[in-house]
Amino acid sequence: MPPSIHPVDLILALRDKHLTPAIVFLTSRRACDEAMQAFDHSRILLPPPRQQAIADVLDKVIAQYPSIAEHPLIPTVQRIGVAAHHAGHLPSWKIAVEELMRHGCLDAVFATTTLAAGVDFPARTVIITQSSIRKSRDFMDLTIGEVQQIAGRAGRRGKDLVGFAIVTPSPYIDLNVLTKGFTGHPEAINSQFLISYPMVLNLLKAHPLDQIQPILAKSFAQFQLNQRAEVLERKLDDLRDQMEPFGPRVCTDWITEWQTFDQVRRQKSHRAPVRKHEPPEVAARFHFLTPGRVVGFGRSRGVVLRQYRSKGQKSPMITALRLGGGITESPASTVTEVSDRVLDCVDAPVYPWCTPESVEELLHHLEELPGRLPELPILIPKDDEPIPDAIVQTLGDFACPTCPSRSACQRDYPLAAKLRQEQHRHVKSIQALRTSLWHRFQEKIDVLQQFGYLTPTAHLTEDGEWARLIRIDHSLLITELLRADAFSGADPAMLAAVMSSIAHDDDRPGAFPRVSSGLASLLGQVRKLAASLSPHEDPPLLRADIAAVTERWIGDPGLTWIGLCKSTTMAEGDIYRLLARTLEFLSQLHTLKATHPGLTDTASRAIAALRRGVLEELP
Amino acid sequence: MTTEELEQLLAQQPIALLHRLARGRVQRHFRAGKRRLIEVLLRHSAENRAGFESDLMTLIGEKHARPAPPPPQAPAIRKQKSSAPQRRTTHRPVEPESHEPAITLSSWLEGLGIPPSKAFVPDAWQEEAIAKLREGDVVVSVPTGSGKTYVAVEAARRAIAENRTVIYTSPLKALSNTKYTEFSKIFGAEQVGILTGDRRDNGQAPLLIMTTEILRNLLYDAGGGEIDVRLDTLGLVILDESQYIADPERGVVWEETIIFCPSQARMLLLSASIGNPHDIAEWITSIRPTPCHLVRHSTRTVPLRAGYLHPNGKLTPLFRTVGIPHGHPSYLHPEAKRLFLQYEDETLPSHSRR
Repeated sequence: MPPSIHPVDLILALRDKHLTPAIVFLTSRRACDEAMQAFDHSRILLPPPRQQAIADVLDKVIAQYPSIAEHPLIPTVQRIGVAAHHAGHLPSWKIAVEELMRHGCLDAVFATTTLAAGVDFPARTVIITQSSIRKSRDFMDLTIGEVQQIAGRAGRRGKDLVGFAIVTPSPYIDLNVLTKGFTGHPEAINSQFLISYPMVLNLLKAHPLDQIQPILAKSFAQFQLNQRAEVLERKLDDLRDQMEPFGPRVCTDWITEWQTFDQVRRQKSHRAPVRKHEPPEVAARFHFLTPGRVVGFGRSRGVVLRQYRSKGQKSPMITALRLGGGITESPASTVTEVSDRVLDCVDAPVYPWCTPESVEELLHHLEELPGRLPELPILIPKDDEPIPDAIVQTLGDFACPTCPSRSACQRDYPLAAKLRQEQHRHVKSIQALRTSLWHRFQEKIDVLQQFGYLTPTAHLTEDGEWARLIRIDHSLLITELLRADAFSGADPAMLAAVMSSIAHDDDRPGAFPRVSSGLASLLGQVRKLAASLSPHEDPPLLRADIAAVTERWIGDPGLTWIGLCKSTTMAEGDIYRLLARTLEFLSQLHTLKATHPGLTDTASRAIAALRRGVLEELP
Repeated sequence: MTTEELEQLLAQQPIALLHRLARGRVQRHFRAGKRRLIEVLLRHSAENRAGFESDLMTLIGEKHARPAPPPPQAPAIRKQKSSAPQRRTTHRPVEPESHEPAITLSSWLEGLGIPPSKAFVPDAWQEEAIAKLREGDVVVSVPTGSGKTYVAVEAARRAIAENRTVIYTSPLKALSNTKYTEFSKIFGAEQVGILTGDRRDNGQAPLLIMTTEILRNLLYDAGGGEIDVRLDTLGLVILDESQYIADPERGVVWEETIIFCPSQARMLLLSASIGNPHDIAEWITSIRPTPCHLVRHSTRTVPLRAGYLHPNGKLTPLFRTVGIPHGHPSYLHPEAKRLFLQYEDETLPSHSRR
C-alpha cells in the first residue's frame, strides 16, 4: 500500500462524497508541487462550464496582476480545478487562488501547514496529513491551538451546514496529537518579551530612566511574572506558618547556630574545602535544581531527582530522570534551561532517590508537559561575593552543649533547616520574577552605553538620536555599519545587496548568480563587524549568494522578473519576499535624511530601482 | 553489548524503527539515510548507553509483539509491563470508552449541504462585543472562522460615523492587502488607506490598515515628540490575530502597541481561541483607563466533524460521535482505529518491502 493517498484518488474520493471544496494541508512546498504534478496526465476534468468560470475569474485577476499571466500551474488549475498555495509562490498568485476559492471555483487547494495562519480562505473540508510542523529547522508536534486553527478553516459560514476535518495518514503521523488537538482546550499563551536595542533607545528618548521601570511593569510579561510570583508568595506564607514552632529559642538564630556547632562538632572544618571556580550562572542555577524541578538539557528534558556535590572535586551535580526513562548523573553545567515547573516527587534515601511509583508518575507528567515551558528567571550575581575568612571556631565557642534547649534544637534542626532553605529559595525566586525584566533592560543599556549611543546618565547621544530610527532586526549591526561609514562609496546595488543579506534568515541552499568582487569585499567587512558584535547581537547569515540576487536585480534595470528567477533556484515567492524585506530595510535607512544625506540618497535610488515589475503590483 | 554488536543489530532493523528510536535524540533525523542515521545514533548512545539499548529492545519487542495481540488471560505480564517506564509511543491514556454504538458513515455525512440563504443576523457574541466597545476595550477570543471580521467592520463603521480615526492591524502584509481590498469594497475606496514600510496609499483616510510593526513605530514617534498620523483623533485600534502576542520573535510588538496605545482610543483585540483570554483582558484592564471586557465563545458557527481517510480511499468517521467529543480524545471510531493500526503496521515494520 502507498504510504499516503495519491492526490488524484484524494480528489476523486472528495468529489464522490461531495466534500469539495477542500484545503489539503501538506508537509512541504515540494509535496504541494508534486501533488499538482500528479494531475498532469489525469483525466478527471471539470465540466466545461466550470472550466469557463475559472478562466473568467483568472482573467479578472490577471488584468490586475499581469505577472501571473504565464504561471505554469494555470492549465492544471483550469482543467482539474485544483491549485497549490504556499510561500514559494508570488503574492499575486496567492491572491488569484484565494479569489478562485472565494468564488467556489476550485475543488481543492494544496497548502503548507506552516502558513495555516496566512491561509485566509475557508472551505467545506480540511484534509490534515501530518501531526508535526517545521519550526525553525526542526519538527515539532502541532499544538492544540494549531490543530484547531487548521481545522477552523473547515465550514464556510452561510455556505455550509457542517464543516469536515479529515485526517489521512502519512509516514510519522501521530494520531494522538491530532485527536487531542480536536478534542482539547487550546493552550494558554505566554508573553515573549524580547527587549531590543531600538526599544531601549526609543523608550529612553520619550521617558527619563526612572520612569522606565513602571513602563516595563505594564507589560503582559510582567503581568504573567507577577502571577507566578503570587503563587510563590502563597507558598511562602504556608512556609511561614510551618516555621512557627521554630521561632527564636535561647539564641535568636538557633538554626544557624546549631548548623555551625554541628559542623564544628563533626570536625568538618579540618579539611579545607576544595574551592573550584564555578561560573556564576551555574552557581546561581544550582540553587534551584531541587528534586522535582523540570530542566532542559539541550534538546531533551528531565526532572531533577537530587542535587549533590561530587565527592572529589565538589562540582555541582544532579541526578536527573530523562524523557524516555533514563536516569543520569550529570554536572549542573549541562542544564541549559531551568523551567518554572516543579513536579511532585516523593523522596527516598537511596537510588533512584525517589519511590518507584513516583518515578513512573514523574515520567508520565514529563511526557504530558507542553513543548514550551516558562523559564525561571534567575538573577546572576555580578561579582562573586568575597568569601569571608574562615573563622576557626572550636567547640568551646558554643553554648550549645550546656544549653537548656539543646535536645529540642537537635530534634528540630533537620526539618527547620529544610524549611528555611526552601524559604530562602522562594524569596530569591520572587525577587527574580519581580525584577528580571528590569535587569534585562539594564543589560541592554550597558551595551548601548559602551557603544556610545547612550550617555552614562542614560540619555541619547547624537548617534543614539538617529540610531533609534532603525527599528529592524540586527539594528546594532546596521547602526555600527553606518558609524563606520561602510557604505560611503557604495552604489545603490551594493547597499541594497548588503541590506538583503542582513535581512535574509533562511539557510535553504541552492544555485545563485555570481557576486561581484566589490560586493564580496564589502560583505567580508560586514561579516567581520558582525562577528565582533556577536556577544551583543546574534549575527545574521550574511549570505553572499543571496546578496548577489538583489545586486543583479538593481544593477541591471533591463532584467525581467523571469530573467531573475532563471538565474537562481530560489522559489519565486522567496525572491519576492527577499526583495520586499530589502525594501523595508532600505526605507528604514531612508528615515535618516537629516543626519546621513548621502546614504538616504543612495537608499532612495536603490528603492526606485528595486520597485519595478512584480514588486510594484502590491502596496 | 559491544559497539559492533549494537551496530549490527541496528543495521538489521528497518529504517522506520530507527527513525522512531531517533525521535527526541537526533535533530533532523528525517533527513538522514540509514547508514548516517546509525552512525549518529551510535554517537549519541555513548551518552546513555543503557537507556538507549533498553529503548531499542522495547521497540524491537513491540515490532514482534504487534502483529499478534497478547491473549486476554495475561494479566501477570501486563502488570509487569505497566510498572516499567514505557515509551511515549505506546502510552495511551486509559479512559473508559463510550458505550453508545459508534455512528455510521452515512449519518456522519448527513446534513452536508448548503444552508438556505437568509438575511444575515449577527450572533449574540458579535452584538455583545460591539455594544461593550462603547464602555471600554474588548478582547474577543472565538474559534477560527466565526465571524470576527463582522465585529471589526461594525466597530469601524461606528467609529467613522463619529469622525474618529480607526487603525486596523494584522500580523502579515499579505493579510493587510486582503483586508485592504475587502474594506475598500465595504466602505468605499476613499475611506480606506494602507500604510507599509515604504509606501502610504490614501494616508488621510479615516480607516487605516497596517501591520502591527508599523503602528508600533508610529507610537514610538508619537512618544518621541514627532506626531505622525493624527493620533489625537484616533478612536479605535483593532488588533487582528492578537494571539501573535505569544510569537517568540514578534510578540513583543503587540505588547508595546497595547502599552503605548493612546488612552482616548478604544482597543479591540481579535484572537483565535486561546487558553487564557481572561489573563489578557485582566492585564489590559490593569494598564488602561477603561475596563476591558472579554467576549469568549467556544462553539463554532458551522459545526465541525472529524473523519479519517485511509490511503486506499476508504472514508470513516474519526470519532464515535457525530460531532467532536470534547475532552474525550480516546472516543475513536472502531473502524478508524482499526484502519489506522493497520496503517501503522504496514508502514512501520515494512514486511512487505523486504
